[in-house]
Amino acid sequence: MDLTREAPISYHSSAKRPGALGLVSQAIREIRSRRRLIRYLVLADLKKKGADTVLGNVWWVLDPLLQMLVYVLLVSVILNKSQPDYPLFIFAAILPWKWFTTAITDAIYSVSSQDRLIKQLQFPKIVLPTAATVAGVVNFAFGFIALGGLLLLFYRERATPYLVLLPLIAAVQFVFTLAIAYAVAAINVFYRDVGNVSRHALRLWFYLSPGLYGAATLSTLAVNHKLFIQLMSFNPFFALFNAYRSVIYDGQPPDWTSLSVLLVGSLGLLLLTTILFKRVEPSFAKVL
Amino acid sequence: MTFSTGTSDMPWAIDAHGLGVEYNLRFTKKTTLRQTFTNMFGGSGTAKFWALRDVSFRVEHGESLAVIGPNGAGKSTLLQTLAGIIVPSAGSVDVRGSVSSLLTLGAGFDQELNGLDNIRLAGAFLGIEHNDMEERLARIVEFADIGQFIEAPLKTYSSGMRARLGFAIATSVDPDILLLDEVLATGDQVFRAKSKARVLELVKAAKAIVLVTHDMAWVTEYCNRAMLIEKGRVILEGNPAEVVALHEEHSERTRAEKAAEAARLMGAAAT
Repeated sequence: MDLTREAPISYHSSAKRPGALGLVSQAIREIRSRRRLIRYLVLADLKKKGADTVLGNVWWVLDPLLQMLVYVLLVSVILNKSQPDYPLFIFAAILPWKWFTTAITDAIYSVSSQDRLIKQLQFPKIVLPTAATVAGVVNFAFGFIALGGLLLLFYRERATPYLVLLPLIAAVQFVFTLAIAYAVAAINVFYRDVGNVSRHALRLWFYLSPGLYGAATLSTLAVNHKLFIQLMSFNPFFALFNAYRSVIYDGQPPDWTSLSVLLVGSLGLLLLTTILFKRVEPSFAKVL
Repeated sequence: MTFSTGTSDMPWAIDAHGLGVEYNLRFTKKTTLRQTFTNMFGGSGTAKFWALRDVSFRVEHGESLAVIGPNGAGKSTLLQTLAGIIVPSAGSVDVRGSVSSLLTLGAGFDQELNGLDNIRLAGAFLGIEHNDMEERLARIVEFADIGQFIEAPLKTYSSGMRARLGFAIATSVDPDILLLDEVLATGDQVFRAKSKARVLELVKAAKAIVLVTHDMAWVTEYCNRAMLIEKGRVILEGNPAEVVALHEEHSERTRAEKAAEAARLMGAAAT
């Protein structure tokens, strides 16, 4: 019987590794030829996540809504800050943030949890963090059901045709998320502290991004903390949250300049972290 | 089975040249930042060691090479390197033809998925195309013989069932080159007999075999060449009977040394 294979049939394995560009083109080839494996891994991940709960995938719709309620209670009731239509205002940030944190948390353990497989089978390890990031997209897409419901039931006047731009903004976020995913997945193989660090780093990151508050609140701070505000503008989620909020809450087109800058920056970062991942990949089987 | 283009005129299947694998003990399992810092500043000198050193050999088509040696000699590292799982730190290895490494025995792919999904996922990991895998599915299920459990999540399987499923998946491919690592030691007696028959079938069909085993009878019976590895280096390579004889002589000596050492320790404890 003839075997048709997605994996290479003959190979050469030596101490010599290709250069940076060679590694990137290798990574692209691996992801392209292993699309089916990535799809299976994503499906397996989705199957598992809903499997043990009564409500199953309904949680993906409920989760961001409940989180929104918590923040609404905290900010507009207890802290008594007023912002018109605050639930929608904050939901525009919670949705992409949940996607980011789930994808990153899954990516951190994506390689190190497959230790047995990695020691017994040769396959391109880069599919693992890739699958974790793609699985996050599906999760994110379910959140759109909640967003649609929210807009339709309570904020019909805020819904504008600009909503069709959401996938574009999400695409920029995807590139950035993938870049971070490769880095954390690779580093966690060598240092298992990444999980612990990330939990706190992600929380701090969220509070430092204009998620609970708007960019307008930040500009009032700008008088006293100039340097701080300048640093904040380097935060990718500054541009992302603003873009999501323009489209969902303000009914305006996003700031294309900052989005394009972020896209170019993320692509550059993705290039770097892909090289990092591919460079340390040969050590995985020995270290795990 | 067909050759992949360009290999039919090549007589060899595996060519290892000056193969060396170095382990860095600094990054062993579950390193944390703190440990790295202690290592960096405390500085233990023996942080690296060579699991394999200067190993060169060629396996021709039609050959069956046994790799023997004491525990921890580097036999499994050698197989992992031939399978492409470990990238050599020195030298190179060329493999011509499709490889199946039966190192995958008992590898649970995903505890939460059922048997069928696990078979499909395994196929995707092995890089076998979807249609090919669907064709094999029935055969794998039949060989693994796990009945209705095939629809149940893997976490509900007994270790025997897991081993059977792993074996069935790993042997469902018909490779050009077969790498075997102590595959006959799993499962109950019936399954062991069944799996031995299947391995022999594969051995007959494969164009080249490298196997690691402690079963010396198997070596002299089914292999036409053997290689003795000790401490990562090739000690002797050639006729199976001669290599096995040297290995047994060496292990006899080691046993005697160990017995003497144990006796000395016992004596020291008694006085």
